[in-house]
Amino acid sequence: MKRFLIYSLAIILVFSLAVSCKKKPKEVPPPPPQAQEQPKVEKVEQPVVKEPSLSEEEIFLQRSLEQINKDKPLANIYFDYDRALIRDDARPVLETNASWLTRFKTIKVLIEGHCDERGTEEYNMALGEKRAKAAMDYLASLGVPSSRLRIISYGKSQPIEPGHNESAWQKNRRDQFLVIEK
Amino acid sequence: MMTKKLITGLVLLTLAAAGVLQAQQEVLLKISEGMPMVSVALPPFIVRAASPEAQAAAQEILQALSDDIKYSRIFQLLPKEYYGYIRPLNPDNIFFKDWDSIQAKLLVTGELSADDSGRTVFSGKLYDVKSERFIVGKRYQTEKSGLRLIAHKMADELMKLYGEKPVFSTRVAFVSNRDGNDEIYMMDYDGANQARITFNKVKDYMPAWSPDQRTIAFTSYKRGNADLYLRNIYEGKETLIASKGTNYAAAFSPDGKKLAFCSTMSEDGNAEIYVLDLETMKVKRLTYNSAIDTAPSWSPTGREIAFTSDRTGQGAPQVYIMDAEGSNVRKASFGGNYFDSPAWSPTGDRIAYVSRVENIFDLYVLNLRTNQTTKLTESNARNETPSWSPDGRHIVFTSNMSGSVQIYTIDYDGTNLRRLTDRGENKLANWTN
Repeated sequence: MKRFLIYSLAIILVFSLAVSCKKKPKEVPPPPPQAQEQPKVEKVEQPVVKEPSLSEEEIFLQRSLEQINKDKPLANIYFDYDRALIRDDARPVLETNASWLTRFKTIKVLIEGHCDERGTEEYNMALGEKRAKAAMDYLASLGVPSSRLRIISYGKSQPIEPGHNESAWQKNRRDQFLVIEK
Repeated sequence: MMTKKLITGLVLLTLAAAGVLQAQQEVLLKISEGMPMVSVALPPFIVRAASPEAQAAAQEILQALSDDIKYSRIFQLLPKEYYGYIRPLNPDNIFFKDWDSIQAKLLVTGELSADDSGRTVFSGKLYDVKSERFIVGKRYQTEKSGLRLIAHKMADELMKLYGEKPVFSTRVAFVSNRDGNDEIYMMDYDGANQARITFNKVKDYMPAWSPDQRTIAFTSYKRGNADLYLRNIYEGKETLIASKGTNYAAAFSPDGKKLAFCSTMSEDGNAEIYVLDLETMKVKRLTYNSAIDTAPSWSPTGREIAFTSDRTGQGAPQVYIMDAEGSNVRKASFGGNYFDSPAWSPTGDRIAYVSRVENIFDLYVLNLRTNQTTKLTESNARNETPSWSPDGRHIVFTSNMSGSVQIYTIDYDGTNLRRLTDRGENKLANWTN
């Protein structure tokens, strides 16, 4: 008698479970008609084969040396008469130049030293060189490796301002920075 | 007015007797102080050709030779009128007493003809009037472009009589930007026949002649650096000799075997003076000073070098002298705070240099025997880079006195200023050192 009861209970249990699993979804009466909702736009992400975008540095370096130099990315610095000392007003310029050079790590620069017409030819060749070297040493102290820097002197042979007054002379007593390798 | 005084060299008046016919080893006279200029008779040349070209050629040679004689400061031309007082020259039978009577000391005769291919043939002869002796004769054959050179060679024969080096057939090398960028050119001592020597699109700078004027040393930027080159202008051969650092201001030693120059090739990148032995190609450093040392100039003995240094004060260069090995450095300039560009005269007793006062540069000459300094230019301008003629009587230099940078010559006593160039800007002239 006991065993019969247990078996019956088990069967009833299993049966009710099976029945409950097979339960059909309740018939829900359809919602009352309402205003049409805009379909929600769902973003579907799809892998796309696209060129990776260039960094600003890379875009810049794709230009030719000529184009790069035309933009004059490195500003001139200026010197006092007969002197090759880095002036106070030159320091921030050199700092800016150094950080630009740190950003574009492959660039190599030629530093040109120049003088105004009021010195003699031979002495001015040496003075121009000292001016270029002063800038190179300063940039090196700011972390630009000297292997990326070269110097050259033009003495007074290459003025940028043709005048014969202090304003022209000051503009000619300069270091110029030329990008020679990218 | 030509002064009758001559200032040069030294001593004795020797007269070596020459052979009668083809005298090669001739009379050798020396200039001494106080000697009056030697009067030279230069009658018109005999032209043995009918063509107007031949006449023109004869006239061109005569004119150039007259100009050379007038420039020399040793000889003076007999006034043309004097020739009218005596009978015309017969080159085959010269009446020396005629020439003596009009006070000619030397007689120059010339005959011009043309050869079959139309080239000019010129035969020039030199006679000593008093002794009625033929001294030397030369025969030249040339195209039209060589006529002036014939005259210059004849003038140099006159110079040779007095033991002087050739002057009139020598040339001045210089830098000009007339064709766009700074390049090297050369010209006759009087500015004629200006011709280009280097052909780069960059910059070629600071030429220096070898003593035989067959080679120039110069700085070229064509490789993107201030490199030093030698160029044999007759063979066209070019040699790179210094390329580390900045290399410039080259100067040949008087024997042509060494080249002094300024370079920043050293570790500290400081401007120092070096000497290159042109036979071994070994470089020796001469200055060891943290100051700028530059602009070397050899004494004619080759035993000393004058140079510029700012070792007494930055921005205040002075002229110094050292032995050719670099020892025994002593200061040679005084009384100013900016001196540069020393040029040692081929006579050995003087050094020309530039002194800057405010914004004006003038040429000065220091007499090493008397220690006196003479001011050579007085033009309220920038006069610089002097270079001596081979006989030490003339100086070529650069000046902006006209408003643009040009090349001039001036005599040792500050007279006879002449402008040689006018196209473009011209500077850094080199004659002997």
